[in-house]
Amino acid sequence: MIWVENVLVSRGEGGVYGEHMLKEFRVWDPYRSKLAAYYYLGGVFELTPDLVVLYLGAANGTTVSHVADYAGTVYAVEFAPRPMQDLIAVARRRDNVVPLMADASRPDRYATLLEMADLIYQDIAQPEQVTIAIRNLMFLRDGGRMLIMLKTRSIDTAEEPGVVLEHSVAALEAARVNVLDTKWLNPYHKDHAAILCVPARD
Amino acid sequence: MQSYWFGDIDEHGCTPYRGGPKALAKRLETIKISPEHFVPFDWRVAEKCGYMPDHKEYIRKLRDLCFYLAEVGITRQYESRDAELLQMVRTLDQLDEVSNVLTERALEWHRINNPGFSRKYMRLPRQKLLPMMKRGGSQAFRQIINEIENLASARTSLMKEVSRRADEVVPNCSALLGGLVAARLVSQAGSLQTLSRLPGSSIQVLGARTALFSHMRGGTPPPKHGIIFQHRRVHNAPKEVRGKVARVLAAKLAIAARLDQYRQEPAPEFIEAAQAAIDKAGRVI
Repeated sequence: MIWVENVLVSRGEGGVYGEHMLKEFRVWDPYRSKLAAYYYLGGVFELTPDLVVLYLGAANGTTVSHVADYAGTVYAVEFAPRPMQDLIAVARRRDNVVPLMADASRPDRYATLLEMADLIYQDIAQPEQVTIAIRNLMFLRDGGRMLIMLKTRSIDTAEEPGVVLEHSVAALEAARVNVLDTKWLNPYHKDHAAILCVPARD
Repeated sequence: MQSYWFGDIDEHGCTPYRGGPKALAKRLETIKISPEHFVPFDWRVAEKCGYMPDHKEYIRKLRDLCFYLAEVGITRQYESRDAELLQMVRTLDQLDEVSNVLTERALEWHRINNPGFSRKYMRLPRQKLLPMMKRGGSQAFRQIINEIENLASARTSLMKEVSRRADEVVPNCSALLGGLVAARLVSQAGSLQTLSRLPGSSIQVLGARTALFSHMRGGTPPPKHGIIFQHRRVHNAPKEVRGKVARVLAAKLAIAARLDQYRQEPAPEFIEAAQAAIDKAGRVI
């Protein structure tokens, strides 16, 4: 990852969403992007130019644009029409972004368009977030990683975030996915946790 | 055999599909896959298919297809009949807010120049209050009042339009609730499709978010009604049966929403039976 004077940045064409520029770099704000927060808090998963990323829950393409600056190809899945309009605009200016208008909980609907991914990144506000992530593991290459941004409040509003995380980790382990690391995204994002995991080998 | 967006692959090799995004998209619709049997692919498979020399070209072709698919998808979503109704009813509610805030502010202003003004004038209907305030105000003040009056008339015509549109889009819900409240219900759910998939118990408390969550978190009494409280049979019901009326009405609305979503026409027998059930729930024995 590129840091300029302790500020996380990415190298690419600016002016995507009004982000600040630092020299020729685009500043990646941890308060806006959960992935940026993950790196500020010592996240270890490096984005490299050879990676194929499957991005579930691409929204307006803010974080997608930074991921695309680092990674090789980004398959960005988003379902809602409004953010999709913004995402298309982002994708038009970055030729390694493939926008997919599809429901991440129905991988069969977009399976024929994807290639195998080295990283599955998921940031969706759904109660069954973890189940959806597991369902998408079929697209993960051997040795690939999955990074889940867990929105504990979308999963269960009444439960303690810590308990929700425990349940989610248990659900992953039950699906034979090894959790490598979990990280709370405080103070950047309240009640959000990053889970880095890898499917167990047979 | 495995089918992908660029062609079919079996033991004999690859049968590529050529053509522009439109043709590819059309073919894509015919491909049905089951997750258990699907084999995700490497783009090199497509390379073997012959007509994609490198990854760059592969992505370029794929992107053309995906942009096309996304744009078709967006148009289709916006075309759904309830999309405009949703915006209309939200505009209506926002108009109310704006005109209330402006009126309150103008009243405070009016008070300053009129020491004789007191609470009793606040009870006047707005159509009387506003012209009264206009007398003697400065030019800018009068202009503001005119704008508030204009907003009010815009609201009236928008409200008629919302009711009319709701009768078209959600005829069964409208018959039970009245067009305006039915439209608000759709707006709160997000879309007619979402509403039609909700159980009656959720419809009953749609729009009572704060109360519902404080109930779930802290054990306060559960809300009896959300938006449907705005319907006269709920808010006019005697207190002891109000919850019951709300529950029956919500249950019937769940059915009505499904009729609206999938049959898209009024179902008179259902409406009649539902009205009778709701009226019965409201009777105090």
